Amino acid sequence: MDLNLVLQSLISGISIGCVYGLIGIGFCVIYNASGIVNFAQGAFVMIGGMATYVLMTDYNLPYAVAAICAILLAGIVGAVVERLVVRPLWDRNAAMFVMILATLAAQIVIERLAYILVDDQPKTLPPFTDIAPIRLGGIAVNYQSLWIVGCSVLIILALNSFFRSTRTGKAMRAVSINAEAAALQGIPVSRMLTLAFVLSAMLGAVAGILLTPTQYTAFNMGVPFAISGFIAAIIGGFGKPLGAFIGGIALGVIQSMAILGLGAGFKNVAALSLLLLFLFFRPSGLLGSTR
Amino acid sequence: MTNSPSTTSPEAPGLARPHTRHFGSAAVWALSAAIIGYALVFGGYMATIVAFALIYAVFVSGLNVFMGLTAQVSFGQSAFAAIGGYTSAVLTTTYEWAPLPGMVAGLVFALVAAFLIGFPTLRLKGHYLAMATLAIGLITYEIAVEWESVTQGYLGISGIPPLGIGPFEAVSDRAILSVLSVIVVILAFAVTRIRRSRLGRAFSAVAGSEEAAGALGINVSRYKLVSFLIAAAIASLSGSLFVHVVGYVSPEVFGLHMVILAFTMVYIGGLGTVAGPLIGALIISILPEVFRGMKDYQDLAYGVTMILILIYAPKGIAGVAGALDARRSA
Repeated sequence: MDLNLVLQSLISGISIGCVYGLIGIGFCVIYNASGIVNFAQGAFVMIGGMATYVLMTDYNLPYAVAAICAILLAGIVGAVVERLVVRPLWDRNAAMFVMILATLAAQIVIERLAYILVDDQPKTLPPFTDIAPIRLGGIAVNYQSLWIVGCSVLIILALNSFFRSTRTGKAMRAVSINAEAAALQGIPVSRMLTLAFVLSAMLGAVAGILLTPTQYTAFNMGVPFAISGFIAAIIGGFGKPLGAFIGGIALGVIQSMAILGLGAGFKNVAALSLLLLFLFFRPSGLLGSTR
Repeated sequence: MTNSPSTTSPEAPGLARPHTRHFGSAAVWALSAAIIGYALVFGGYMATIVAFALIYAVFVSGLNVFMGLTAQVSFGQSAFAAIGGYTSAVLTTTYEWAPLPGMVAGLVFALVAAFLIGFPTLRLKGHYLAMATLAIGLITYEIAVEWESVTQGYLGISGIPPLGIGPFEAVSDRAILSVLSVIVVILAFAVTRIRRSRLGRAFSAVAGSEEAAGALGINVSRYKLVSFLIAAAIASLSGSLFVHVVGYVSPEVFGLHMVILAFTMVYIGGLGTVAGPLIGALIISILPEVFRGMKDYQDLAYGVTMILILIYAPKGIAGVAGALDARRSA
């Protein structure tokens, strides 16, 4: 097989993998704060790309301003989902799959609102910088891939220092280790849960904005990306943000290799089989401890 | 976060209960019978809707055994419906089998698949189990799309003969509705029997606490597998019924939508109850017809209703009716 083609796929795999990683980290942030797996995560990815598009075309905002507004909007929606859907169930000690179902229902509601408020047409955003791709021998690296990788690495570093150095970040880590003990130390556990949803929604929105120029966004694009993000989180060892990022890249690379080797139809089968392999043989993930 | 055992064993199985009145539960059955009766008498579009609802009631009954009685979770039951449906479709069209043997073949394939899948999958718990089963459902969907030589991909298979045994064929709306009603009643009866049997008590123990059940000498993994197999068999049956009633099958039938719809039905109806799957399937199938005028808002209303029910009536309609009976007899 042509080596250039393999390298080219590798690059596109890594860049989409970074997006999966960001979505996966969103899962981890909420899971660590509450033990909840939020299946509405895909909705935030959709809001990111969709809101940026609407703000740019209908309100003529500059790209960067529209993107920041979209991220903030996703954060607000995250807080609303937490307050209106997750909180009441949390207070009633709902079973795990009730929570899964409720967040899925929230996903449907947000999807449908987007459909009613905007429309059902797929939309795309212009690349961040519209310059011809860099040529390295026979491979072309487009700038959007560089933006995706660069932004993702910056976000990981920022998140890392947030969790390690700030008071709020430390408090969130304390809650994830032991919520009751954290409450006894005077940490407002309930506010941390809301904050986790806001943070994770904003991460999802960033992922959505980064990926829309390379693909497209539509009201119903969230679920497939949420599933990929979830697989990334599982591969990394659930609850480990760095693991989710590595898992995302691994997933992206394997998917693009599957497209290259087996055809585009096998993209999802490869991803889901990878998930099953990890669940069966190493449920604690790459970074998890072996029991 | 385990499921509370109270939803899975509402009565002490095997014991004669003190004289309680079942007005609430009876009302649920009466309402279901009234809806089916209306469809039987007046036919037309309503008959089609109710027929779909009954097929879903079959599927949801299976889900109810696994989720309601045994408190496990599977987002992948659509896989077994797909196996049943496609086996029936392929055997009756390409190989010109009669519907019944085709259905049995589908059942066998579904059981074999469930056995092979269940072995590694059922060791998982909680979110991992949910995800693994979801993955299995989605992989089956992808296979149905990609394996074009057998499934004809997105195009689907058409020209599937109606249900029938020998010379009898269920072609008219009434015949289809009658056959489906009989199957639903038989299933409801079977679930009642299972619930009160040794098997059902073991399921209930597993649902309550796997550790405690194990300590009592119940082979937890074996009963989980049995429950999974029952659910898969029922799902396969519903898949076969679907393709024969509609005469057409495509991968979309067994997509994620089916799973979400079935989960809604089992929750609206009442998880772990006998009447729940039926009333849940009927209501969820008919509601969209009620809101037909507001087409765009239909899914929105559906999502909001779902969230409200999960928060305020987590035991569903049959659960509420049962609770009313319990209060009356107390």
